[in-house]
Amino acid sequence: MSSPKNITELQIGENAVIGEFSNCHVACKLMAMGLLPGSSISLMRKAPFGGAYYIKAKNHYVALRSNEALSVLLSPVL
Amino acid sequence: MSEALQKIALLGNPNAGKSSLFNQLTGLRQKVGNFPGVTVERKSGFIKLDDKREVEIIDLPGTYSLYPTSLDERIAVNALIDVNNKDYPDAIIYILDVTHLERHLLLLTQIADVGFPVLVALNMNDIAAQQNIQCDEKKLSEALGIEIIKINGRTGEGIDIIKSKLPQLLSDNKTGVRTSSFYELVADEKSLAAKVGVLLPVKNEYHALLLAHHSKKINFLKEDKKQQLLSVVQQNNFNPINNQLDEIMQRYNKFTPIVNTVLSRSFSNARTLTDKIDFVITHKFFGPLIFFALMLFIFQAIFAWSVIPMDWIDQQFANLATYLQTVLPNTILSRLLTEGLIPGISGVMVFVPQITILFLLITLLEEVGYMARAVYMFDNIMQKFGLNGRSIVALISGGACAIPAIMSTRTISNWKERLITIMVTPLISCSARIPVFAVLIGFIIPSFKIGPFNSQGLVFMVLYLIGITAALIASYVFKKILKSEEFSFLMLELPEYRKPHWKNVFYTLYEKVSSFMFGAGKIILMVSLILWFLASFGPKKAMQEAVNVATIESSLLNADKQTTDLLIASKKLEASYAGYAGRLIEPVIKPLGFDWKIGIALITSFAAREVFVGTISTLYSIGKNADNMTIKQKLQQEKNAEGKPVFTMAVSLSLVLFYLFAMQCMSTLATVYRETKSWKWPVIQFAYMTGTAYIVSFVVYQIFK
Repeated sequence: MSSPKNITELQIGENAVIGEFSNCHVACKLMAMGLLPGSSISLMRKAPFGGAYYIKAKNHYVALRSNEALSVLLSPVL
Repeated sequence: MSEALQKIALLGNPNAGKSSLFNQLTGLRQKVGNFPGVTVERKSGFIKLDDKREVEIIDLPGTYSLYPTSLDERIAVNALIDVNNKDYPDAIIYILDVTHLERHLLLLTQIADVGFPVLVALNMNDIAAQQNIQCDEKKLSEALGIEIIKINGRTGEGIDIIKSKLPQLLSDNKTGVRTSSFYELVADEKSLAAKVGVLLPVKNEYHALLLAHHSKKINFLKEDKKQQLLSVVQQNNFNPINNQLDEIMQRYNKFTPIVNTVLSRSFSNARTLTDKIDFVITHKFFGPLIFFALMLFIFQAIFAWSVIPMDWIDQQFANLATYLQTVLPNTILSRLLTEGLIPGISGVMVFVPQITILFLLITLLEEVGYMARAVYMFDNIMQKFGLNGRSIVALISGGACAIPAIMSTRTISNWKERLITIMVTPLISCSARIPVFAVLIGFIIPSFKIGPFNSQGLVFMVLYLIGITAALIASYVFKKILKSEEFSFLMLELPEYRKPHWKNVFYTLYEKVSSFMFGAGKIILMVSLILWFLASFGPKKAMQEAVNVATIESSLLNADKQTTDLLIASKKLEASYAGYAGRLIEPVIKPLGFDWKIGIALITSFAAREVFVGTISTLYSIGKNADNMTIKQKLQQEKNAEGKPVFTMAVSLSLVLFYLFAMQCMSTLATVYRETKSWKWPVIQFAYMTGTAYIVSFVVYQIFK
């Protein structure tokens, strides 16, 4: 089985559900910001000059740098 | 808490509307300072309660949880877990954004568990109504066991009720305090908390656990206590990060069911207004384009439009000085007033239009939620130079004036990135360099056409590009040198677009402008008084002789009254202390091709770069109203002792580059001191900029002479 997808592998407009975090620091911060395992998100945009990802979850919006986006692992959408 | 003023902290997640509530509660009775030892802004205000008691309201930095990830969040957390902290509050007003109820409950349940009396201000009800979110706040209040007041931070609705509840919140130790904890500590944590409780003053188990959690980064304990705490934590094999994750999950598991019962909402898949705006604003191509258009607009506003009020202010002070000169007797005191003090105050006031305009525009962009998008778009590029997405605003504003630009860096929360921005912004060519460049550029290159372009215009552009390049190189160097404890990341909330809240804009403007006038202004005034003294006074005999020589010379020339006065002014300046200083530094600046007269101008133009032109005009007896053309013609005729022209191409090029790089602006240094709260940074800035200027000018002069 291939390793789970992360945010950087999403296409723009693609929906996904957060499965787990591979970095505890990122996990702590994002969970405090309301992004939990099980939250559904979609990738809105990638930054014009690269390096950052703009995601939407429910009614809030978060920008992540590539490093942080890499550590958000997604569970397959059913 | 006996006689001392009781403190109430405002706390909430970022973008919950905390500053609106703070402004509504305190009005203009605000005090802006810094938290001790750090450069995070501390805002507090005073209000009188119904029982005539006065209390201090402290606006703590916004944070998502009691587990901070940045310096300002850490300040907030320290104030809440260190019982000896100067800002340790007696009670807390928690601002809860009803449209993001779930995640805002995390911090609320945390501070409730630390044992603070808490009153909740439920904000954003109007926006919730628009989004079809209904919240049963009575049910929520019952479920949480905390009193909730509905407010509207924009209109001030509900603020009076908040105020009326405060006396009771402060008077006993029971109101607003929950008896049970939301978070249930597991056995290991309980035993650890008990051990910490023996060591340190703690309010309850959860408070003790927090101290254990923060033990590595704690800075408010005596060293021996800290070591004891650390060893207790180690003995218990406490893993802070796992504990943190478990705690957050447990809290969510507790309050998510509550949220589901009190909130009725429907998430439609329809695109929200924010989605639609961001479709354009953060577009791969149009996003940066719109950003640069906005920046061009800001640049235009501070560069061109502020000239009108600036000239007006300048004129009013000049008129006042002239008027006083005619009515007051000619004494030292009246000259101090008309030649030193009034121009000094004018030199401070003249920056007010630029600062006001820049902050009006920046605050508006911040208020509507645009700034976070700019950070997101440019983070990657700026990061490579050790800067922040927001630095780009300062760098562009620096093209008009470094002072408002440096003040605008307050929105950068990472201290290292902010400091680097402050340090390099003055390298961007500001409007005060233009008069210097304009006078000297004619000596560097004659005016001719290169295709559709004018040669001198192109040199101007090259000078600007050199400044920008130098700023980026300097940032890169600072990035490598400076150490930072904060780990760098970007997990930034992009707030939903909102209408600007004019009251907030007004308070921000008021605070920035007054902090400039009374903070940096004091230093600017002082230095300009010193410079005035140096340029107006000299050894008595030498000054008298200068007047005599000038009078004789002018009578030999059969000169009219105006020319005589000019000649006297010029000779007096040469004989003044500034003149002596010019001669004193001549050996140092000689290798750059500068003589002692240019030395005088270098000293006086430390007040502001454009003073160079005025000083040069006085030294070479050029009338005050001369335009650039006549100054140039005069300078062309200027010969040195060997009969060769002073302003050769090599000297002029060296001088232009010197002004491009050198930190020739005391107002900027005063602002840097105010923003960094230390003389260390302005001194380093002066040294590295003027040092670079010296080396560049030296090399260029030695090559071209």
